[in-house]
Amino acid sequence: MAESYRRSQWSHGLFILPYLCFFLVLLVFPLFWGMWLSLHKADLFGPGRFVGLTNYTRVLADPVFLQALRNTIIFVAVSVPALVVIGLFLALALNRTTRATSFFRGLFFSSSVLSVTIVTLIWRFVFIPGDGLLAVLFKQVGLTPISFLSTSGWSLFSVGAATVWWCIGLPMMLFLAALQQVPQDLYEAAALDNASGWRVLTRITLPSIARTIVLVTIIQIVLQFQLFGQAQLMTNGGPSGTSRPLVMYIYEVGFVRWDIGRGAAASQILFLIILVAAMAQYIVSSRKTEA
Amino acid sequence: MKRILMTTVAALAMGFAASAHAQTKIELQRFFGACDADYGKVTDVSSAVGECGIITSLINKFRADNPDITVNVTTVEWPGYDQLNAQLASGAAPDVVSMHYSAISDYQSRGLLEPVDKLLGTQGVSPASFTDAARAGVMKEGQMYGLPFDNWTMLFHVNMNLMKKAGLVNADGTPVLPTSADELIAQGKQFKEKTGKPYLIQILANETASYTRVLYTFLQQQKSDFFANPKQIKLKTPEAKAAVELMKRTVSEKISTVGLDYAASVSAFANGDGGIAVNGTWLIGDYVAQSKKEGTALANGYSVYPIPQLFKAQDSTYADGHSWVMPKKNRTPEQVQAIGKLFKFLADNDFQWARTGHLPAVKAVFDKPEFKALPQRDNIAKIAQTGRSLPAEVQRQFAIQSIIGEEVGAAVNGDKPVDDALASAESRINELLGDL
Amino acid sequence: MREPEVTYKPESLTASRPLLWGAAVLSLIMMAPVAWLVGLSIKSNQDLMMGTDSVFRFPYTLVNYLNILHSSQVFGWLLNSVIVATGHTLGVLVLSSLAGYGFARLEFPFRRTVFVIVLFGLAVPEQAVIIARHQMFSWLNLHNTYLGLMLPGFSSAFGVFLMTQFFRAIPKDIDEAALLDNASQFRIFWKIMLPLTLPAQATLGIFTFLGAWNDYWWPLISATRKEMYTLTIGIASSQTNFAQSEGLGFLAAQAVFASLPAIIVYLIFQRHIVTAVSGGAVK
Repeated sequence: MAESYRRSQWSHGLFILPYLCFFLVLLVFPLFWGMWLSLHKADLFGPGRFVGLTNYTRVLADPVFLQALRNTIIFVAVSVPALVVIGLFLALALNRTTRATSFFRGLFFSSSVLSVTIVTLIWRFVFIPGDGLLAVLFKQVGLTPISFLSTSGWSLFSVGAATVWWCIGLPMMLFLAALQQVPQDLYEAAALDNASGWRVLTRITLPSIARTIVLVTIIQIVLQFQLFGQAQLMTNGGPSGTSRPLVMYIYEVGFVRWDIGRGAAASQILFLIILVAAMAQYIVSSRKTEA
Repeated sequence: MKRILMTTVAALAMGFAASAHAQTKIELQRFFGACDADYGKVTDVSSAVGECGIITSLINKFRADNPDITVNVTTVEWPGYDQLNAQLASGAAPDVVSMHYSAISDYQSRGLLEPVDKLLGTQGVSPASFTDAARAGVMKEGQMYGLPFDNWTMLFHVNMNLMKKAGLVNADGTPVLPTSADELIAQGKQFKEKTGKPYLIQILANETASYTRVLYTFLQQQKSDFFANPKQIKLKTPEAKAAVELMKRTVSEKISTVGLDYAASVSAFANGDGGIAVNGTWLIGDYVAQSKKEGTALANGYSVYPIPQLFKAQDSTYADGHSWVMPKKNRTPEQVQAIGKLFKFLADNDFQWARTGHLPAVKAVFDKPEFKALPQRDNIAKIAQTGRSLPAEVQRQFAIQSIIGEEVGAAVNGDKPVDDALASAESRINELLGDL
Repeated sequence: MREPEVTYKPESLTASRPLLWGAAVLSLIMMAPVAWLVGLSIKSNQDLMMGTDSVFRFPYTLVNYLNILHSSQVFGWLLNSVIVATGHTLGVLVLSSLAGYGFARLEFPFRRTVFVIVLFGLAVPEQAVIIARHQMFSWLNLHNTYLGLMLPGFSSAFGVFLMTQFFRAIPKDIDEAALLDNASQFRIFWKIMLPLTLPAQATLGIFTFLGAWNDYWWPLISATRKEMYTLTIGIASSQTNFAQSEGLGFLAAQAVFASLPAIIVYLIFQRHIVTAVSGGAVK
């Protein structure tokens, strides 16, 4: 196509200029500033001094950081598959037009419009000892209530439950959309072969929406690595740090301990991890779909 | 040129503002909770109960008395220092902020607070009018960096109705309280056997402050000089181990509630779910009010005592206090004067604040007949002598508190051996203090 | 405007009765916490103090809601959230549409390079820039302003990426015809191309609005004055004071009240949101 009007012209760049300004000033510049900051011993209230890579070595040697890293990886490793599997299940179940299914679709997406503080408040009311919904139910049936928010193991689980409840809408919707794109004749052929439901699922449906599964997984990995509000508001990272995610570590180091140089170093490490995780996932799965 | 223009505009704007309505606006930021639903319009301070109610109505009263001053109150999540840090960093600090004595040295040493001696002087409030403990709390390098408001400690809040049932009441009607670690456990077991309820109500979940305060108290009672060097804590000591072992025993011997957070523990005691709540002075007013209501678990059966001396070396309780500080910022002379008036008002009404249960910071309050008439104050009067804080030079006391709370909490709840927890708390705190 | 309706093919073999029952069970888990919240909100704080199982018994009361109307700051927070989320969304729509058009349909020097750099921005998490941004905004005195709350969102690369994809999908002959009429580039963009992207605008707008509405960390450290709190931060500030504050019933009522606007907007635009979300996926 040799359209003359598509000739390269500087003036065409004017269309992207406004965005580019914001991009440079609010993203690129702070990103490099953050890297610069991570090489300094600085507090919130004034300039610091250059310390080289000390912040990075200290962060990597900090048992609290390592614990937070482990918590975050466990959280991602459990919550992302849960979101994908449940989302897929719901999409398969609700992939038809009836009154009931459209009600359910609306219901499962509705939690996504709530803000994190409302979500955590709701789930705190469920999990808090003594007054919580689960405590009340446990007592009704004669069980000893579990202190969900303050028992190690359960606390991260509780944060995860609230997160899945909150985030399930988007995966479900994306899967539903993908299911609509599966060519109908594939199913018709399968019906002629008298293929079982399971066979149809594994041989036709899943391969057809493989790209969406990868997309949803990557989106969720990136999102869930940034877990912060739920943990801070529900468990405050406790007990003994077993539900403290990486972002909360960054927040604490920067704004509680005033050590923003180290906070910046930790956030660069998080950035790297997210990048690697998303890319690894993408490469692995794109290879799988090719094979 | 531009500058001149700006100044002119600013001057004009200010002149206009001044002539239009001579309002002086000050921003006050505090914790102590929000209770506008109940106290939003109350100006009769004496009718208010509890920290939140009393401070809210105090400010309302000040507003009513000074119609020319607008006090804009922001309530922050306790203790609010994260937010204050963000504000200070962004140059948007409030005019007056509630601050623990234990946090002042962090901000003062970084040059973020104004000394208030002069300001108090102009209002006729002399440093000598405060108790020694309160003045020491705000005194850094020979100057006062805040208006002292109170002193507080953790206490044993006692449900006498349950103690009677447990046979833990003396002939004179006072509760039988332990005088050693073993007695604590023994009486706890007796209580549990007789009443079927836990002896202690402790804040063991989602909290770090309570663990730390109890640990400090037990360390002090053993005369352990764990902060001999304010830049280095010593926790790998037999004293620290004994203290944490005792805290752990209250859980492993099943004489304490477990899994209650701050809120749940407060209401658990109010509902009579246990014998003794280990909590602060600030609840006395609330609990006294409840004990006056028939039909409640505490009806005519509430009493309160300092944490008993459970170790031989000395009687001691960890103490801290609340103050009002002025972050460094540009203020108009009118604003400074308004803050001075507010400080004077708060000092004058320290008795009202003392009704919460806190010890007054203003000496004269102790001699007031109204104060002497307040219930329970004889029992706890001695904390004025036995209350001890950390050395004033120790920085980042709140960060230290979260580390200790986290590690000791892990030990008490059985997630970590006691020695490991103390070792890791020590190394984490020293890493923090060594890297300031 | 044409509204592409998603039709769910009735003959899909994937949906079956047992699956539907499974979804019904999950929907109970979905609703139970909300029902509990509503239950708490219509009990008096005194009753709840005695034990929250009183939710299952009479009497119920609206006193918590009345208290909100009298004293709570929820209204102010709500207004702030609406202003910030709306401004944020409009900004993103304008910037992304312009940039998306530029990247997708025009040629200029370094177009490819710049686009790749912008795409790279997709991968930068908020945490990596937030501390530096906070310092920057301090110097510019932007904290505790609406602008300061909106601006960081303008740099998001997601919208640009999405709009570029949409503009690319529009057949070439449409603007070619217009060009023959000697229309200016901006006129083509404004009169011809933009109307074609309305569904995409809706998708991006809804995503951006919900994202802005739910933003937590940035307003937490930027809006530190009570009158500038967004709903998210306001609720957080009262939630952590639990016992010392108004009590469970009041908190629950506040949460119900605060989520109403989002839920109402959702119910009104539900069909459109579903279309938008699905539309965003079909790429």
